[in-house]
Formats: sequence, C-alpha cells, structure tokens
Amino acid sequence: MMDRVIELLDVWKAYDGVQALRGLNLEVYKGEIFGLLGPNGAGKTTTIKIIVGLLKMDRGSVRVNNFDIFEEPYGYKKFIGYVPESVSLPDYLTLEEFLIYSGKIRGVPNEQIRERMNHYINLFELTDKRRALILSLSRGMRQKIAIAAALIHDPDILILDEPFIGIDPAGQHMIKEIFNERVKDGKTIFISTHMLDTAERLCNRVAIIHNGQNVASGDLKNLQQLSEVGENATLEEVFLKLTEEAKEPIIEETAERKRRGFLGLIGRKI
Amino acid sequence: MSSNIILDIYKLKIKVFFGSFRASKTSLALLAIYALGFLPSVFGFSLMITSAVKQENANIDLYVENLAAVISGFISVILLLALRGCTAYEYEQSLIFTSPVTPRKFLFASLFADLTESLPFTHPIFVLFGATVYSLGIEPPSTLMMFFLIIFFIFMLLFLKISLSILNSLYKRLWLKAMMLVFVILSLLPALAGFSTGFPLRYSLLPHPSTFLSRFLINIVYSKSSQLMDIIGLLSYFIFSLALFMFVSGKNFFQHVTYIPFVSPFDTSMRVQTLKMERTIKTFSRTGMVFTLNIESKSLLGFLMKKEMLRMLRDGSLFSVAFFYIIMTVVMSFTSISGRQGAEVPIYAFFIFFISTYSLIVPLMLVSNWRFSEFENIWIPLTSCLDPRLISKALLYDFMLIASLVPAVVVLILSVIFSISPLLPLVLISSTSIVGSSTNLYLMIKFFGKKRRSTPSFLIGWASMLLSGLLLIPTYVLTILSTYLKLNDAINAFISIPLLIYSIFIMRYFLKKTGENIINIEV
Ligand SMILES: Nc1ncnc2c1ncn2[C@@H]1O[C@H](COP(=O)(O)OP(=O)(O)O)[C@@H](O)[C@H]1O
Ligand SMILES: [Mg+2]
Repeated sequence: MMDRVIELLDVWKAYDGVQALRGLNLEVYKGEIFGLLGPNGAGKTTTIKIIVGLLKMDRGSVRVNNFDIFEEPYGYKKFIGYVPESVSLPDYLTLEEFLIYSGKIRGVPNEQIRERMNHYINLFELTDKRRALILSLSRGMRQKIAIAAALIHDPDILILDEPFIGIDPAGQHMIKEIFNERVKDGKTIFISTHMLDTAERLCNRVAIIHNGQNVASGDLKNLQQLSEVGENATLEEVFLKLTEEAKEPIIEETAERKRRGFLGLIGRKI
Repeated sequence: MSSNIILDIYKLKIKVFFGSFRASKTSLALLAIYALGFLPSVFGFSLMITSAVKQENANIDLYVENLAAVISGFISVILLLALRGCTAYEYEQSLIFTSPVTPRKFLFASLFADLTESLPFTHPIFVLFGATVYSLGIEPPSTLMMFFLIIFFIFMLLFLKISLSILNSLYKRLWLKAMMLVFVILSLLPALAGFSTGFPLRYSLLPHPSTFLSRFLINIVYSKSSQLMDIIGLLSYFIFSLALFMFVSGKNFFQHVTYIPFVSPFDTSMRVQTLKMERTIKTFSRTGMVFTLNIESKSLLGFLMKKEMLRMLRDGSLFSVAFFYIIMTVVMSFTSISGRQGAEVPIYAFFIFFISTYSLIVPLMLVSNWRFSEFENIWIPLTSCLDPRLISKALLYDFMLIASLVPAVVVLILSVIFSISPLLPLVLISSTSIVGSSTNLYLMIKFFGKKRRSTPSFLIGWASMLLSGLLLIPTYVLTILSTYLKLNDAINAFISIPLLIYSIFIMRYFLKKTGENIINIEV
C-alpha cells in the first residue's frame, strides 16, 4: 500500500508489575481510517498514549511520519491531533479561549486559529456557547470541543481513543462525516474502539490486539480468511475467534515465540 | 451486637481516611517529617508558657483571659463548621445510609472517627500539654485532672458540632444560624480586650465555657483550689451538649444530609480535588470574566503566562493569596497596637516574622492550586509540539510575580502606616518568593512521576516548605542580623544584592531541574 504514517516495532510497556504491551507491531497507512480493536485491557489506550507522547515505552521503536519519536520527542506532534478516552478540559477557560490556547501552543498563526475556530464552532453548533465557561458545558459538548481542538492545527493524523462514547447519534454521524472528509484530503484517522459494528462500517483497516500483542491486522476479508470463520462472518465473529485463540496470557518471551510459531497468527502482517 | 456495628463503621471510616498510607511508603515518611516539623515551635511555645507562669508577679487574670481567647477560637471554628449543616461522604451514603444502621449508632462511630482522624493534626496540642506540664513540674494527680478536663471539653465540642450541624440540616432555620453567629461573635469579641485595655467586654465577666475551662486549668497550674462555679458551669455545658446530642441522634436525619465527595487530606485522587476546584471556579469566574485570553500576544511565553494568570484569577488562587495577606495585615495591626501598650514588643521584628512565614506559604498555595486544577489537563500541552519546559518557565515566572507583588503592596502600605523602612521586608519577600516558588514547583512536578503520584500533596507541600526554608537560611540569617544590629538601609541595600543573586541562582538551578522532570511526566 501507500506510505506508512505510524509504525510501531516491537513495543513493550509495563506499569509497575502489569505487562500492558508485549512486543506490539502496528502499521497505519496514509489516507485510511484505521481501527485499533481489542477487548478491555488489551492495551489500546496504552498504545495510543505512547504514540502521542504521554507515556514512555520500555522497549521498541515508534515512527510517526518517519520521525523517530524517541529521538525527536516534540516536533512530530505537530502532525498529530489527539482526543483522549476521558476528556478533561480546563474548566476555567471559555470555549473560545480554549481553542485559541490549543492553537497557540501548536504554533498555528492567529488568522488560521480564528478561521478554524469559527468553522468548528459553527459545524458543532456551539455558536451560543462561544463565551461560556467549559465548566458549564455538557459531556458531549466537551467531547466535540476536544475534537475541534485536536483539529485546530489541521494535523495529518487524528488519533481518537474510544471517540463515540457519550456522544449522541447525530454527533456520531457528524464525526464520521468529518472523518470521511479528512480521508478524502489524504489525512489519516486512527481510532481505538471496542464497538465492532462501528469499526466494521467505518474503518478501512483494523488491527485486533489482545494482551498487548497484535493478533491480526488487515481489512475484513483478510481477517475472515485468517481466522477461518467463513466469508459471511462478521467482524464480531472474527474478533471473538481471534481473541479466544490468544487467550492464555503469555508468560515469557520464549514461550511466546513458540506460540507464535505454532499458531502462525500472532503478529503476522498481511 | 450494637457496639459491634459501631466498631465496624468506625473501622470503615478510619480505613477510608488513612487509606492512602497503605499505598505509599513515601507518604508515611513525609508524615513523620510533618509531625516532627511541629516540634520545635511546640517546644518554643511551651518554654514561653513556662516562663510566663513562673514570673514573679504573674497576672493570673490576664492569663485566664488569654487562654479563654484561644479556647474560644476553637469553639468558633467548631460553630462555623456546624453552620454548613450536616455533611456526609458519598461512600457513606451508599454503604451506611442504605443499611439498617440507626442514626445514633452512626453518630457514635463518627464521633470516635472524628477524634482519631484529627490526631495527625492536633497532636501538637498534646505534645505542648505534655512539655508544659513537665517543665512546670505539675504533680501527676493535677496533670491527670487537666488531661481529663481537656478530653472532656473536646467531647463537648464534638457533641456540639454534630448536634448543631444536624439541627441546621433538619430545620434550616435562619434564626438558628443567626444565633450561632451571635455566639461566635460573643466568643471572639472579648479577645479584643487583649489589644486594648479599655475594652469593656472580658471573658471573666461572661459565663462562657472557655472562661470556665480556662480558669479551671489555670487554678490547677497555680495549685489554687477550683471554684465551684467553674465546675458547675462546665458540667452544665457538658450536660447540655450531651443532651442535645442524644436528642438529635434520635432523629432520622439521613435524608437531610448534604453529600460531599470524600476528601481526606491523605487522598490523592484528583477527582476529589477537581470537584472542589469546580466549585471555586463557579464562584470566581464571574469576576474573572472581565479579563479574557487574547489571541494577540507577542511571545508564546507571554501568552502562556497570561493564560496561567487567568486561571489563578478564575480558580480563586489570586483571591486566596490576597485574602491571606489581608488577614496578615489585620493581625499585624492588632499586635502592633497591643505591642505599643506592652511597650517592649518591637513592631519591626514582628513585621519581619509575619512576612517571612507568610511569604513561605504563598508559593505552596499557588503550586498546589495549579496541581489541583491542571493535573487532569496536562495532556493538552504534552501532546502538542510545545516544548514542555516553556510551561514550567511560564508557571514559575507567574508564581514568582504573584508571590512577590501582592505582599509587596501590603508591605508598602504597612510601612507607611507604621513608618518602617520597607527595604529589608521587600528583599525578604523577593528572596522567599523566588526560592519558594522554584522549590515548590520543582517538587510538585517531580512527584507527578508515576511512582510517586500516590503521595498526598499536603505532604509534598511540607517537604517543599522544609527545603525552601533550608535554602533560605542565608536570607534569614542576614535579616535577623540586620534587625538585631539595627543596620541602616545603606548597609541593608548592600547585603541585599548578593542575597538576590543567590536566590536567582537557586531559581535557575531548580528551573532547569523542573524542566528535566516535566519532560518525563507520564499521565
Ligand atoms: N496506570 C496504570 N497502572 C497500572 N496498570 C495499568 C495502568 N493503565 C493501564 N493498566 C493496565 O494495562 C493494561 C492495558 O490497559 P489499557 O491500555 O488501558 O487497555 P484498553 O485501553 O485496551 O482497555 C490493562 O491490564 C490495565 O489494567
Ligand atoms: Mg482504553
């Protein structure tokens, strides 16, 4: 396919005692809507936090737009917009002030900040909330504001951790529209989700991770073949089959390598 | 059976309260530092009391007044707390109030839990008591007597606090609140007599519980026999509060409780702090909306500084600093007035003393507030291409600015009123705010680190105060020397220069260290 915009190679991460990622490999290509799937605790949030620079990995390498994020920890972030799993915003700022702040810290020129701010405020129908403190806004509105802030510098890659939680159907629809628009312009969308039906309809390509490892990746067709569940199987069936097979936690690296040989699935690139 | 339930609830409350100590050993170590940090001042205080008592022509009546004023201070705090009405933690609602536990059993458990929980904060009182009794050589029977008297009084206060807050919640009557406020004012007014001999109201003239207790204690100290009046007075207050407690605890007040999120000073959960912050933002943002964050800014550093200023305005940080100094001005004025009567209290020394302690606390207030309102939002700059070192720089500059400008204004005003030279106090303030802000910010960001995050922030605060205190020793030594030797301003100005250079050197060192740590924050 095309250029890789995100590439994770053998990434390991442990929280004191808990091994969250165990040699994760991942590739995201330019211009796609990529879905990171996995059951709770699979390591989706950890993966995303490492990519956006909120966590340091223990081992491995991550490249974003061909920048090694370990060697150049700030510069690459101008290509990234990020919306976390649970959004927390500065309550003491107004909606407008917050978007200005988000633009300023990313070095966006004032003119463009104003232009994009107005664009997203109109798009999300938040015009009457412009000068309201974020404190007074609802959860869904905050989520929208966070998305607007993540787009204020028009990043190449938009990364969202479970973006559809707490957003009404109309809002979800609008967000999907934005995704499609951006992909048309050659931008990349990276979402993590456990809502498989959404992923099935929205994503061009997905990766299923389990216990901190890439169990399988590709489009739906690839995954169906890979998991041998038949052509008419849904993503859900594929998902259940693959995560079931990889259920036993891997205790050490050598054991893991044996399993990899045996199953021939784990971490295989398609 | 019933005592078992009380014990269970008590255990639960204590476990929740002290929970964070099980998570972090650092917390325990810091708690020890905190507890020990009190000791020097406690012993100093005890020495003061001892020497006052042993004076040849001790004015016993005056001592009774002073002690009564202190005790009244405690009573007022208790009453003011009761004005809020009855509050309970959210976990108590879901665990206890939905179970068949009766209000009375819950209240008894709460009473003992309150006592236990206050120990880490009130222990200096007991240390002070022990040290004073020892150095005065008071006989064991009298000591025991005094000890039980104090305990007895503490129970009375707790009975009152619990009953009055429940009454407030149950009946929500304005006259009840008004009566409590009147009592608070009555409790504090006679304290003014300490500042002016002409003031007519005195504790000894009032049938006030603090008068009874104070006279009782001081009579024991001077081995005088106690007056029947005091015993009867105290006993009747105690019986009254106990009766009130028994009456109120028979009521079912569970529906009238206001729920507050659990806030233990040892609790490190940011959710709690954020909730508290939300309330203050609601209050202060109204005034803060006069200023807005403008898109036009010459430099990014300037913009970030403006944004933090705005935060401090809207989350109440600025207000609390200003309020802090207003209190200081009031205290200063009182002490200096009474100082003029006593004729031997040097105003200048008092001034220096207050300024130095206050300006040590202000950076801590600013940095803690930043952590409370910004911890959850730190992901925003950290995921942008901004070098995070710029954030620590903007923060530090803002903190130093506020921590020195606000007191500088106060110092200038006071120096005009009392016609004192402002030079040395101003140097002291600048030095303290520079060193204090940089050490506080450094430690706070260092403790952001993943392992240390479970350390309670008030303990980090103590460590920071200790560190800044140590680093400020040169400043203190020079200030004390200058005050003691009555150096003139020309010499003072001369010694200030190396002091300020030293402070800036410390600041630059810690700014660099802070930058190294902010890069490695993981959230
Ligand atoms: N701060 C943390 N401390 C300890 N363990 C954590 C922490 N965050 C996540 N984990 C653990 O790491 C694993 C992966 O978590 P996460 O990346 O949040 O999963 P996901 O987002 O896929 O649900 C889980 O087992 C989780 O319990
Ligand atoms: Mg997650």
